Amino acid sequence: MSATPSIALEADGVSRRFGDVLALDGVTFSVPMGQVVGLLGHNGAGKTTTIRLLNGLLRPSEGSVRTLGMDPQRDGPAVRASTGVLTETPSLDDRMTAREALRFWAELWNVPRAAVTTRVSELLERFELTSRADDRVGGYSRGMRQRLALARALVHDPPVLFLDEPTAALDPIASIGVRDLVRSLAATHRRTILVCTHNLAEAQELCDRVVILRHGRVVADGTPTEVVDAARLPVRVQIEVDADHRDVAMRLARAAAGDGVTPGDDGTLRLDGATREAVAALVSELVRAGASVYRVAPEQATLEAAYVALYNAPEPAAEPEADR
Amino acid sequence: MNWRAIFAIVRRDLILVARARAVLVPLIVVPALFFVVFPVLAVLAVRAGGDMLAELEPLLEMLPAQVVASLGPGPLERQLVVYLLEYQFATFFLIVPLMVCAVIAADSFAGEKERKTLEGLLYTPTSDHELIGAKLLAPWLAALALSVGSYVVYAVLANALAADLVGRPVVLTPLWLLVIGWLGPATGALAISVLVVVSAKVRGFQEAYQLGGALVLPVVALIVGQLAGLLVLDALLALVLGALVWALAAAVLLLASRGMDREGLLRQV
Repeated sequence: MSATPSIALEADGVSRRFGDVLALDGVTFSVPMGQVVGLLGHNGAGKTTTIRLLNGLLRPSEGSVRTLGMDPQRDGPAVRASTGVLTETPSLDDRMTAREALRFWAELWNVPRAAVTTRVSELLERFELTSRADDRVGGYSRGMRQRLALARALVHDPPVLFLDEPTAALDPIASIGVRDLVRSLAATHRRTILVCTHNLAEAQELCDRVVILRHGRVVADGTPTEVVDAARLPVRVQIEVDADHRDVAMRLARAAAGDGVTPGDDGTLRLDGATREAVAALVSELVRAGASVYRVAPEQATLEAAYVALYNAPEPAAEPEADR
Repeated sequence: MNWRAIFAIVRRDLILVARARAVLVPLIVVPALFFVVFPVLAVLAVRAGGDMLAELEPLLEMLPAQVVASLGPGPLERQLVVYLLEYQFATFFLIVPLMVCAVIAADSFAGEKERKTLEGLLYTPTSDHELIGAKLLAPWLAALALSVGSYVVYAVLANALAADLVGRPVVLTPLWLLVIGWLGPATGALAISVLVVVSAKVRGFQEAYQLGGALVLPVVALIVGQLAGLLVLDALLALVLGALVWALAAAVLLLASRGMDREGLLRQV
């Protein structure tokens, strides 16, 4: 590499076939340096295949991929020297201790000999494994194994990280620690991070951008907000009025939004699927009817809701990318 | 070549072997039986044989003249001890590299698949050649080390048991040099090549090891053939057999290495 490229990861019309199965179908996306990007999708959507292609473990059937400007097939060792991968299953040797395992991985990634001991100790400390560092991994809990696998991905301090379910098996505190680590690596050290996760709240919180794969095709690509907007989810609003006008409010709301109105347990009304204009008109009418409108609260559409909508959309409608 | 990475993988594979009882036990028991227990029993039996040794005289008469000449002058007890220690146990010795390579290669290839630890290795910057080379080298180097170690123990023991009777140091012969340095390593290489093929088709260590166990049959045939007086493994035969086994190992490995790039290895994950 002569200069640091501005695009860290790039897939251009990539397809990958395994026998009769088309795992990826014309996937195109790019990840600029320093971004945290979520690669989302059901099991079998093509996320792991994408990571394997970007690391040169698989060849594309069609199209091309580039990692840090390099072709992973031609420059596999150089690509993998610059990437760290947390695999879906931790892929650890039960018969080794954490310290031995990290030393082994440090040697494979050519960490300078003089720095190996310090680097290993730092990682053991960071992932709270120091007290069990000389125990065999076979006796570790799932969370400890996950933390060790994360430490392995970071042993050579790579500029690009692929994290497949990074907080799976971790307790809430450890999960927060990992999310903080990911943020810090991206913000402070300008690391590029591709995160595969089924935890959509985590993706929404953590990722600058998300790419959603469905049956091997990209169905959405943008910031979490853009993806939510592009999903055109129905507006959901909560309205709270004074107790004396709840019946009036219900009647007016039904006139405005039809069956999409339900009374809440707390005396509020919930409107599903009303347009913004209908909500504004309803509030005006409530005020004219003498009601005290205490609260009009739009419920924030979540990435999870957008994801579900994209997955449930008919296949042809889902083909064009929602946002590019 | 990234030798640091290669030796890191070799070291790690050997650490894993040393910590698995199912793998380690045969590596200790088999050499101990063949090069401590059996030689002691054999030499003690001959030395205590007395008149019954005469029944074994026809065995010596069937041997090629140059082998009989190398046994030196009588008595029969002395000739039988020299024959057993210098010729018969040389064929037994081939079991060591064969078994060591088969056990470690089964653990290294099929075992890795079973433990689902291969994928982590594939994401490292080692090239395909370095990765596969390291995995072939680990059992071969272990076999070489264990062969030399077993031979040293055997040589000390054999001389302690028989040097006074024979009147000269025993088992320090060209045949043993060829067995340790040429035919043994070739046998180990063949075992590894076959285990690479077998491991690609099985689910785990035990299955690979059991199928790979069939490799011992040609060595058993050699041992039985020699016991029956049909052939004698001498230096010339060791040289020729070694060349043949090396060629066979290379051919099998060439066949096995087709499709053994990262994508091929990934299919085994």
